[in-house]
Amino acid sequence: MKDQLFERLSNAIAEGEVEEAVVIVKEGLDAGIPPLEIMEEGGTKGLQLVSQRFSEGTAFLPELMLAGDAMTELLALVLDKIGDEGASERLGKVVIGQVKGDLHDIGKNVVSALLSVNGFEVYDLGVDVEPKAFIDKAKEVGASIIASSTLLTTSMPYQKDIVDYLKDVGLRDKFFCVVGGGPVTPDWAEKIGADGYGRNATDAVELCKRLVKSGSAPGAKTEIVDLAQI
Amino acid sequence: MSIRIQRIMNSLEKAYTGPVCSVKEWDTKIIPRTIKAKLKEHRLENTMDLDNPINCDDDLADAFFKAGYELALEMGLLCTDTERIIKVTEKELQESLREYPEEVKFGRGKDQVIMRPRKPESEIEPIVCASLGIVVSEELYVPITEGLIKYPKLVDVLHGPTLATVYGKEVRSGTPYETLMGRYETELRRQATIRAEREGIGHTGIAGAVTHYGHLGGAAFFPGEGNNTMSLCPVELKTSMSNFHRIIMGINCGHNIRAGGFSYIGGYAGPAEGAILANIATDLLLPVILQATYVSSYVYDLQLFGNCGRKAVWANSVAIQAVSRNTNIMRNKIVNETAGPCTEMFLYEAAVGLMNHCVSGSSKTTQPRSAGGRYTDYLTPMEAWWCGEVFKSCAGMTRKHANEIAKKILPKYEDKLANPDKGYSVRECFDLENMRPTPEYEALYNRVRDELIELGMPLDKVYWTK
Repeated sequence: MKDQLFERLSNAIAEGEVEEAVVIVKEGLDAGIPPLEIMEEGGTKGLQLVSQRFSEGTAFLPELMLAGDAMTELLALVLDKIGDEGASERLGKVVIGQVKGDLHDIGKNVVSALLSVNGFEVYDLGVDVEPKAFIDKAKEVGASIIASSTLLTTSMPYQKDIVDYLKDVGLRDKFFCVVGGGPVTPDWAEKIGADGYGRNATDAVELCKRLVKSGSAPGAKTEIVDLAQI
Repeated sequence: MSIRIQRIMNSLEKAYTGPVCSVKEWDTKIIPRTIKAKLKEHRLENTMDLDNPINCDDDLADAFFKAGYELALEMGLLCTDTERIIKVTEKELQESLREYPEEVKFGRGKDQVIMRPRKPESEIEPIVCASLGIVVSEELYVPITEGLIKYPKLVDVLHGPTLATVYGKEVRSGTPYETLMGRYETELRRQATIRAEREGIGHTGIAGAVTHYGHLGGAAFFPGEGNNTMSLCPVELKTSMSNFHRIIMGINCGHNIRAGGFSYIGGYAGPAEGAILANIATDLLLPVILQATYVSSYVYDLQLFGNCGRKAVWANSVAIQAVSRNTNIMRNKIVNETAGPCTEMFLYEAAVGLMNHCVSGSSKTTQPRSAGGRYTDYLTPMEAWWCGEVFKSCAGMTRKHANEIAKKILPKYEDKLANPDKGYSVRECFDLENMRPTPEYEALYNRVRDELIELGMPLDKVYWTK
């Protein structure tokens, strides 16, 4: 019975069926299945499944985004049941957005969804986001990473503004600042003093994982992740 | 009140009164579910034919058109600012198709060119606009732009690169710097057209206007018919008040309106077949909702952030043919090369993409996107000349012939699409003083050109500029 429930849950998550996933989780909790086991065997496997399908081109951006939403709902239910113990299952909190002047959100949405399905708690501020809004949100939710994206060269200065503002208000060591987007390069990341650069969405996830596991303080160095070059 | 203003106000009104839908709901539920159901209803799922990247099946193109037409009527465009759907009736859509212009003029005097609707395999010469908004240093803007339009036979319309700075200061989008840049770009473009002796060339928008500010700052300095306003919509089947700002300013200036939007394989529309449907619906909706004189929408591959891979080539071929065969809507179709200047890969990518768009019935292209537009100063006139040569020379080719050639060229670069060749900056591979490529770049150009002629691409037909 447990295995069937896990399979149904992982499929519901991979298909982006948020409501159905919530029903299955409640069913599992009511049946006395340990919350963390539901998350691991059903939730995490569902996320792995949708990530794999996306890479293979058999699942698409909506499924990826909805799988992230489903995992957020699942986590809320599990945390409600077991308190803060489950919080360790999340890798960290990321505030993400497309910087001011830029309405191109599809690349950012892929990163946002992939971060979510890989275990990060993601706060997506959307498009055309002022530098200070990233920082205000990161302070509000206690994020460890601020991720800014842009497809426009003329919006890249706002990525620098985020880093500069943090320095000027004495908060540079509180948040990792990572950057990405079409015209953004490793050189740019280093030049503005960002903590990291990821060439594509998969690289961005790997970058965020490395940063939260690094144990080093934000602002110390620039980590470049470009798996295609390896 | 002019009819154009009347119609755009009608759409604006709908943007404030249409059915409510959040962007999230639109992107993750309405779009994917409607497109999936439409593909199933018309039995268009899994029709992608990667062995034949350029579609030769008219029935398939027509079936996609029928489904895309229905999709346009069911969906409309979502306004992201008001989160309301701008719907159109079949009567409005039919009226828009009936009243669609028979030609569009670009420029004036000796530099005037006329764009016309093209069917697949049409012999009508298509229009080439250069370049895409690749960022260049302020001091290089004029000579690069002069070079882009040096050959009237190859490049008809000017869009131009994007300025990295304005009077030495970084251009920040959505700020007064961008507004200032709008005017400044028109001044530099004018200098370039004088140097190239092409003062009458038609202009397309303000290249650096990434928001409406740059456009509002510069559009009035290119007034009148023959010039154009460009307004790119958010992905997928969406529009915004920024689009309306640009278009109303364009109408005020007497411009043609070039409105567009991308459809992504792997994005909200799903597989390649879904992206085709979204692309067809976009082509149909932009003239009626945003008063587009011509449309600039195309299919991209989300995994590759380009459209020179096999899936995107096929999807664009079907989408272009579907609309070309069933309407007179003129479309600007962009090839998004990923490799940089002075690389074999760039020349191959452009050749496949442009040959495909030409034989499928596109009326115009804007080129190049050297190095995917990622790096400052990675743009030379050579890429634009190559694109002009290929796009124009392929007029009159059959799709079958083009498909056979594409099958031979694609394997030469498709493995590298995820990690394309960066190439060289303009200072490294082009002499802007004498307007000539370096000997290495010239030799590469000629070698690839000869190779493609050998494969059957008719590049030796007319536009040889050696």
